Amino acid sequence: MNFPAFQKSYGRRTVLAMPDFALEPGRVCAVLGANGAGKSTLAKVLAGAVPADGGQRVVPARVTVGYLPQRSFPFRMTVRQNLLVTGGGRQRAEELLSALGLSPLADRRAALLSGGELARMSLARALMRPCRLLILDEPTAAMDMESTVLAEGLLQRTCRETGRTLLLVTHSLQQARRTADDALFLHRGRLLEQGPAGRVLYQPDRPETKEFLDFYGS
Amino acid sequence: MGKAFEQAAALILSGDRELWSILAVTARMSLCSSLAALALGVPLGIWLGACSFPGRRALLVVNRTLMGTPPVVCGLLFYLLFSGVGPFRRLRLLFTVPVMILAQVTLITPLVVGNLESYVTAVAPPVRETARGLGLPPWKVFLLLVNECLYPIFSVYLLAFARAIAEVGAVSMVGGGIAWKTNVMTTAIMQYTNRGDFSKAIALGIILMALSLGVNLLVSLLQGGVRR
Ligand SMILES: Nc1ncnc2c1ncn2[C@@H]1O[C@H](COP(=O)(O)OP(=O)(O)O)[C@@H](O)[C@H]1O
Ligand SMILES: [Mg+2]
Repeated sequence: MNFPAFQKSYGRRTVLAMPDFALEPGRVCAVLGANGAGKSTLAKVLAGAVPADGGQRVVPARVTVGYLPQRSFPFRMTVRQNLLVTGGGRQRAEELLSALGLSPLADRRAALLSGGELARMSLARALMRPCRLLILDEPTAAMDMESTVLAEGLLQRTCRETGRTLLLVTHSLQQARRTADDALFLHRGRLLEQGPAGRVLYQPDRPETKEFLDFYGS
Repeated sequence: MGKAFEQAAALILSGDRELWSILAVTARMSLCSSLAALALGVPLGIWLGACSFPGRRALLVVNRTLMGTPPVVCGLLFYLLFSGVGPFRRLRLLFTVPVMILAQVTLITPLVVGNLESYVTAVAPPVRETARGLGLPPWKVFLLLVNECLYPIFSVYLLAFARAIAEVGAVSMVGGGIAWKTNVMTTAIMQYTNRGDFSKAIALGIILMALSLGVNLLVSLLQGGVRR
């Protein structure tokens, strides 16, 4: 999957300048970077939630995209209904509820969930419908370690079984090392590094990336 | 004073026929005008809150201005439109309930629009971002948005109804407060007071206040236990 170069500015400030890049089908690509690096902006533009400068399409129309925003909204209904409203089917809903330990919460009102529970529901909901490219913006940031492990396993299985491409935005180096096949590293709105996770996350080229690894990897 | 209250209580309990006529006309007018204002105002409010288009800000300013329209100005407008010199004189609607409803709808709709718009403006972006990310079609996104607004819609309806029963300026100008026909609680209170018939005025005042209390209790219940 190839994407053309694009920029995204707010007012006169360019918060993201991407060169053209590619994602390998069926693989997990982690997007790493510090707060404010432009990770969410990349996710939003690829998902079509905000237009790139000039308004051009970055993702071709034939590619179906699923997108989980960093702050996902719990619709005013129960947890199960939040999954069913996507039209993905009852069986799929029950599978996902149980895979993320949500079965006991299925009939609760979604707005009353705790932060970690809401994150699990949002992830389950995002996995309800098939798509070619799935973009998840820090899906586990609010989860405890146990749920995070469940979520990462589920994501890897889903990608392997369905062949969908996953763009996983995270600020956790550990998470990227555990789950990703490839990695992008963003720094102050620039793409500094892209390639196989084994290289980017262990032997990066750029000093900024090394610094990030030293900081988070210890 | 104390005697007037006693008589008022007796009137309410005795089921005075004129009192009942007044209550019936008030109920008919207020229900119709508040429901019509809701039917017009909800889609408009959601549209203004959820969509961005050129001229949206200008429309919001216009709506806010209309929210502050003095009822007598609205009354004057409809009086002129339907009176013997107005373009709609053939309809012979002046001093009837329908024209009172029209005037009230004009007064209340901007209120519904304004209240809903400010709520929708806050919830629409996250709802839309989440729903579109899930690949939902526009009609489903719209229904989800309405679903998020059910409680605000209900509470804004109650406020619209409260405004309708309490309004006097427009209603007295275009309705004329004709006994058994267009006399509603507020216009009747004015007439009874002018005539010195205080017990009837007080009886109506008590009923109005009780209704208003009931409506506001409901609203605060809704706001307190916002079941999301
Ligand atoms: N709607 C917006 N308006 C103005 N600036 C924004 C907006 N959204 C994001 N930014 C800025 O863009 C930069 C990148 O943000 P973001 O992509 O959310 O970073 P992160 O890598 O933490 O997800 C930040 O400095 C942020 O303040
Ligand atoms: Mg972010």
